[in-house]
This record gives sequence, structure tokens and C-alpha cells, in this order.
Amino acid sequence: MTDHDSTRPPGPAAADNLDYRVAHLAERLAAGPLGELGVRLVPHGESVLLTGTVPSTRCRDEILGLAREELAGHPVHCDILVAGTSSPDHGEDLT
Amino acid sequence: MIRVAAVGDIHMGLDSQGTLRPSFETLPQCADVLLLAGDLTRHGTTEEARVVAREIKDLPVPVVAVLGNHDHHDDRPAEVTAILRDAGAQVLEGQAVVVTAGGARIGVAGTKGFGGGFVGRCAGEFGEPVMKEFVRYSRRCADGLLGALKELDEQDCDVRIALTHFSPVADTLAGEPAEIYPFLGSYLLAEAIDTVGADLAVHGHAHAGTEHGMTTGGVRVRNVAQPVIGQAFHVYHLAGRERVPSA
Repeated sequence: MTDHDSTRPPGPAAADNLDYRVAHLAERLAAGPLGELGVRLVPHGESVLLTGTVPSTRCRDEILGLAREELAGHPVHCDILVAGTSSPDHGEDLT
Repeated sequence: MIRVAAVGDIHMGLDSQGTLRPSFETLPQCADVLLLAGDLTRHGTTEEARVVAREIKDLPVPVVAVLGNHDHHDDRPAEVTAILRDAGAQVLEGQAVVVTAGGARIGVAGTKGFGGGFVGRCAGEFGEPVMKEFVRYSRRCADGLLGALKELDEQDCDVRIALTHFSPVADTLAGEPAEIYPFLGSYLLAEAIDTVGADLAVHGHAHAGTEHGMTTGGVRVRNVAQPVIGQAFHVYHLAGRERVPSA
């Protein structure tokens, strides 16, 4: 069970659990203004690696900011890429 | 030869205007049609849909689209569809359209599709109402695709393309966590494609997947999610049907 009631904060064990904090960050990214479902949040020991591709540098910066806020106390590494917008110089031949 | 450009998951927000338009304006030099494989917006708002509409308006190649799950998030898929149609796009849900380019007839059958998973690892229509509805909804989408492909079968097309947002095969999900495959696609879409036949199947949705796959019936599948292809679109060259000149 998760309990978001501010009058009843989770116990210290749950509050400090990195897995749950990562899960809450994922929910926040999806439900927030970015609507971001495509970023993976991978715990590596005490740190968390962010990977994926987002539409803009602004999105990447906002995700990194949210991650650092939600995961305060844990190092956050960001390998998020920004989607390419160039035209291809050739097509794939499926004839 | 018929040249098909495709991209999905462009996830346009209010700050995205103009990011793809310069590349889209090069389309006449390399493609006969542009397919948009859903998740064109971030939240499916009408404001975001208008950003997409301005990005594709008056392009000199036909634009055919399906919506994705993000385009449903604000519960306004009909309004999003209308805005894209006003900009000239053909937006399909269980429907087919034939566009012409240089005399060639390019048939596209489209649905958003839905999840459920793949043979041997899929959800069943059993148990709680919400679970049964999950599978029934996926089946309705696949049935819509089946009907649309059958419609194309009677329209003398040079090529037939299945356009979806969710994936018809697991091949193109490679790179995604296996645990979430049931939320990324359904074999029901591939079954529809293989039942009628198609020259190409195009989808998006799986950002960490891979581009290339194939149905068990031998139809080539391409995951064109922008994070996968890494460009504004990819182009696929298909052989047009040999036409015998009339006497």
C-alpha cells in the first residue's frame, strides 16, 4: 500500500527506500507537465541512471531537475538523449 | 518504386513548434507519403494538437496518421483528430485510405491498437471486468485494422501498409524491458495483418525498441518511434505492383 496522506508520512524504512523513491519519480514524470513515459530510471547501488530519448533539451533539463529533487541524497547520472530532427540521407530498400 | 516516409512519437508540446517542419519540407524530394504513427502530442490537448497541425499543414505530400496513447490522455481524441484533419492529415481509426502519388495507389489501413502481449505471454479475456475490457478493447482495435485491410484489398492498391501506434510484433520491442511487452503491443494486430496481407507494417510506441521486425506471416515491420530512428522520419522504398497497360 502507498500512502500519500501528508498527515501520515511513511515510516523511515519506506521513506528512505530508493526503489520506492524511484517508482514515485516515475509516476511524477508521467503525471506531470512533461507526460514522460519514455525515460528509464535505473538504480545502480546508491545512485540512479536516467536513460532514454526526449523531444528537447528543455525536457531533459526538467527531468534531471525533478530527479535530483525527488532523489535528493542519491547521485543522479543523466544519459538522456534529445531526439534527432534531421532528414535521412537515404531510404531503406524493401523492394 | 513507392517511397514511404514515417515517424511516430514526436510528442510535440507547446515549445516544439518548428522543430520538425524544416525536415518535413524536404519530403517531396525523398517520399511520396508521410505516415505518422501516433503519440504526436504529449498530453493530447487541443493546444498541442494545433502545434502538430501547424507542423504538417500544406505539406506537398499526403499525410496519414493514427493517434497514440498520449493523444488520448486529455480525453479529447475526437477534437485532436479534427484539428489534424483540418490541417490536411487523414487520421485513421479502424479505417483505410488510398492516396495517390505519381499514378501509384498507396493504401494505408490504420488503428491506434492496444496492448495485451504476444503469443504465449499475453493477457486473456478472463476475470475482473476491467481485465476483460482491456483485452476486448485490444481486440476491437485489431478487428478495425482487419476490416480496413480488407477494404484496401478491394481497392486496386499498388502497396498496402498497416499503420498502428502499438506494436504488432515483439521483434521491434527488443531493448525494452520484457516485463512491459504486454503494454507495448498485441499479437492480435499481427494476426490481422497476416490474415489479409500487407507490404509493410509501421508502428511507434516503443521508444527503447529496435527498428526492424517481421510478422510470422513474413510482413516487414518497422518501429518508427522518433527515439528509435533518431531522425525526423525514415523512408522505406517499396516495389509498386507491375501494371499491364490496357490495350
